[in-house]
Amino acid sequence: MRRSEDYRLLLGAGTFTDDLQIPRTLHAAFVRSPYAHARITAIDVERALALPGVVAVFTGEDLAKLTEPGVTAQAGAEPMVMETLPTRKVRFNGDPVACVVAVDRYVAEDAIELVEVDYEPLAPVLSMESAAAPDAPLVDEDLSSNLHTRQTRTFGDVVSAFAEADEIVEVRFSTQRMTHVPIETRGVLAVWDAGRMELTFYSGQQTAHLLRTNLARRLRLDENQVRVISPDVGGAFGQKIPLFREELTVAALAIKLRRPIKWIEDRLENLTVANHARDDSAWIRAAVTKDGRILGIKAELWADYGAYAFFTPKYPIDSVGWLLPGPYKLQNYEYSINVVITNKCPAGTLRAPMALVTWATEGMVERIARQLKIDPVEVRRRNMITSRDQPYVSATGYSYEALTPWEGYEQMLRDFDLTGFRAEQRAARANDRYLGVGIASVLEPTTYGSAWYKKSGRGSGHEAATVKVEPSGAVNVSVGIVPTGQGYETTIAQVVAEALGTRVGNVNVLLGDTSIAPYGMGTRGSRGAAAGNAVAYLAATEARAKVLRIAAHLVGEPIDNLEIRDDQIYVLGEPEPRLPLSQASWTAYMDPSALPAGELPGLEIHRTYDPPAMTFSNATHLCVAEVERRTGRVEILDYRVIEDAGTLINPAIVDGQIRGGVSLGIGQALLEEVVYDELGNNQTATFLDYLIPTIDTVPNIQISHVQTPNPHTVLGLKGMAEGPVQGGLAAVMIAVQDALDGKGITIDRSPASPSRIRALFRAVEGDLDE
Amino acid sequence: MTAMRRVRFQINGQSVEQDVAPRLLLSDFLRDVLGFTGTHVGCEQGACGACTILLNGEAVRSCLMFAVQVNGATVLTIEGVSPDGTSLHPIQRAFHENHGLQCGFCTPGFVMSACALLKENPAPTESEIRTQLSGNLCRCTGYESIVQSVLQAARDLESAGGQSAGKADSHAG
Repeated sequence: MRRSEDYRLLLGAGTFTDDLQIPRTLHAAFVRSPYAHARITAIDVERALALPGVVAVFTGEDLAKLTEPGVTAQAGAEPMVMETLPTRKVRFNGDPVACVVAVDRYVAEDAIELVEVDYEPLAPVLSMESAAAPDAPLVDEDLSSNLHTRQTRTFGDVVSAFAEADEIVEVRFSTQRMTHVPIETRGVLAVWDAGRMELTFYSGQQTAHLLRTNLARRLRLDENQVRVISPDVGGAFGQKIPLFREELTVAALAIKLRRPIKWIEDRLENLTVANHARDDSAWIRAAVTKDGRILGIKAELWADYGAYAFFTPKYPIDSVGWLLPGPYKLQNYEYSINVVITNKCPAGTLRAPMALVTWATEGMVERIARQLKIDPVEVRRRNMITSRDQPYVSATGYSYEALTPWEGYEQMLRDFDLTGFRAEQRAARANDRYLGVGIASVLEPTTYGSAWYKKSGRGSGHEAATVKVEPSGAVNVSVGIVPTGQGYETTIAQVVAEALGTRVGNVNVLLGDTSIAPYGMGTRGSRGAAAGNAVAYLAATEARAKVLRIAAHLVGEPIDNLEIRDDQIYVLGEPEPRLPLSQASWTAYMDPSALPAGELPGLEIHRTYDPPAMTFSNATHLCVAEVERRTGRVEILDYRVIEDAGTLINPAIVDGQIRGGVSLGIGQALLEEVVYDELGNNQTATFLDYLIPTIDTVPNIQISHVQTPNPHTVLGLKGMAEGPVQGGLAAVMIAVQDALDGKGITIDRSPASPSRIRALFRAVEGDLDE
Repeated sequence: MTAMRRVRFQINGQSVEQDVAPRLLLSDFLRDVLGFTGTHVGCEQGACGACTILLNGEAVRSCLMFAVQVNGATVLTIEGVSPDGTSLHPIQRAFHENHGLQCGFCTPGFVMSACALLKENPAPTESEIRTQLSGNLCRCTGYESIVQSVLQAARDLESAGGQSAGKADSHAG
């Protein structure tokens, strides 16, 4: 089934935030800190205000009067308060300190240069180690320490596991700071209707309703005074979730000035001040027996969360913690999480916030095999969960069911000639060529139900849908998930059409507008299928039931004798339909007295659905790579994925998620890195310095599917989207390590960039003049 | 304010005459003044390719040019690729049939780059496509489906007899 979204997008007729034009719109630009850490001692806006075309300049003091601060509360840790714009000090290079509003963006940018801010520079805190030091300057002076989060959780009997072990295997893995890079940057067009006292907030977003709730509170408006409309969104990848300070500022100023205001972020801002992610590290010790059984593991996990908290600081790194046992039978486990606040751009959720985990778990298993001199396949055979082991409750309390990690691994080994590859690898090494293979088993948490949120703090994982069969029989559907490229309009139309017995083309799907969509939790994780599509299917099933009740009454047959196909209602066994679906819908609206006794008029269904506490998908990734010793360059020669995402609604869309996700994983493994200098200046502010994968660096990926339905979800859906990122990072990094095996080189930090690979070779070979 | 300059040029088959500020970027002119918002701006650094248009048949980055530079030129944007404004050109259709887009923000740039590529080289190899389109960034697809889209477009245009299948062809040269 091809996508219905494509037509407008291919004609250039899509509507992204910056495509919206409203008369009298003003344009905003932000004055940003050149320092990583400094007190604001004075701000002089006079010269900027004198520039023709400048309407106003607002500072943190002004915004404090117009808005409420943001508060991030995390159980067991100090709350973190964030002003709308800072009033006392700036905390990272790019922190916004003032907003210029002008007749166009050109004038606004001119005026930025004329705002004079006096700073008193402070020592910046730029690493996990220095942040956690007892005498470190405080990044957030309302906190007692930069080490914001420190928690340890223990499961099973770790002490005995380590006491009984034959060997302890120790590994460290760190991932670099990255950023999301949607090709459409952030942006907003805020419109205040002064007559109705209502704000319309046009902005590409993932969680429109949650944003509305937050926006209303921060603006001191009632929630029914705020409408969020997320039009076409040019990618998000976890970036377009929180209410950003620039967006809130623009909304507040649109109300204050009674003029529409647009702010479209430029790429420099997107790379340096929209959220970052992934600045994580793991130190893992595994207690193992001589024959390669894993008795228990201990992990110490660290995250550099940057200067402010848009999400609870523990969230991404804790997901590494609770997932680390992965697809392995392992009940004795302890992990600690340590999150530091530093003078860098705030971190947040980037597609697969737990991305480090698969590399860490599978990298650990590889190291166990090497240290014990056992084939890595054998170590997996002895420890990996098979379908016969399920249902299986993980050490951290998650229920695994209908997963196929070992089966996927075995299938990969049947499809790929590992023995042949090893021979090829040895022959290549004799010619100073470094080939490696990485096989990674991915366990992907996909759909988080409200039970999970309750246990982890607060929030909900439910989703909501409306299905309206209009009088003519045309169907309008809305759901609380918000598309940012996933093809939801197509897949939702597919499941609704299937449930209702109508054509896909008869189903119109409207998403992203809080005045149309029912209140849902939006797009995050991999919840589109098993929450978003699932609830649409359930609502359509209710609509179908009502259509059948009406039809049964109209034709005088029992309901069980009727079915709906192609918009026609049939009596079972009869070749010709008795009546069109539209006759039932028309009756519901236009002739309610003809309805069965007790049936209410209309055909509009609202349905909510709370999925299981957690659903998982799994996959096996294989990467063959060559590391070029002279240049440090890594080339991917073969990449394969076996995916088990349960029932697939639209396989082409799932394949697209795999390819895109692996591509992001490859970017993390080989290319991307946010770099700060010793003063905390961001050194990767353009696409010439921050490299994302291009069409000539991402290989073709061979994909095959296993579809093991989840017995506890609607239609057996599991969902997927983040696992390919986990697998991409892991398979490439393990392949690189494999290629370097025997050279005395350990690559424990991504990316495996040419400079890092060269440095590792130099460390073992010295500087060879070639 | 600097004096406005008058530009006269052809865009998507229409003549336009307009006064523009000398520093107005071509991408902003196309989008904000003329309303051709299908040309997207992804970086303003000439690196992402989302704003690619055809200028006298050649693919250029409209974010790296000033509006005044198109005086006397012929411009084709994504809105002019369809033969009639409503049906898909073979290149657009190939993207649709090969799932060559997800969020769609980079897509107009890829389609324009593909127009230029196929005009120059009607039967490119996969490797040539990957080299020629390496200046366009996509964060969603992982690119393989874009490669397949362009390969199919080349086949479809070839089997249409190399005849002009839409405005993209007639304006590209």
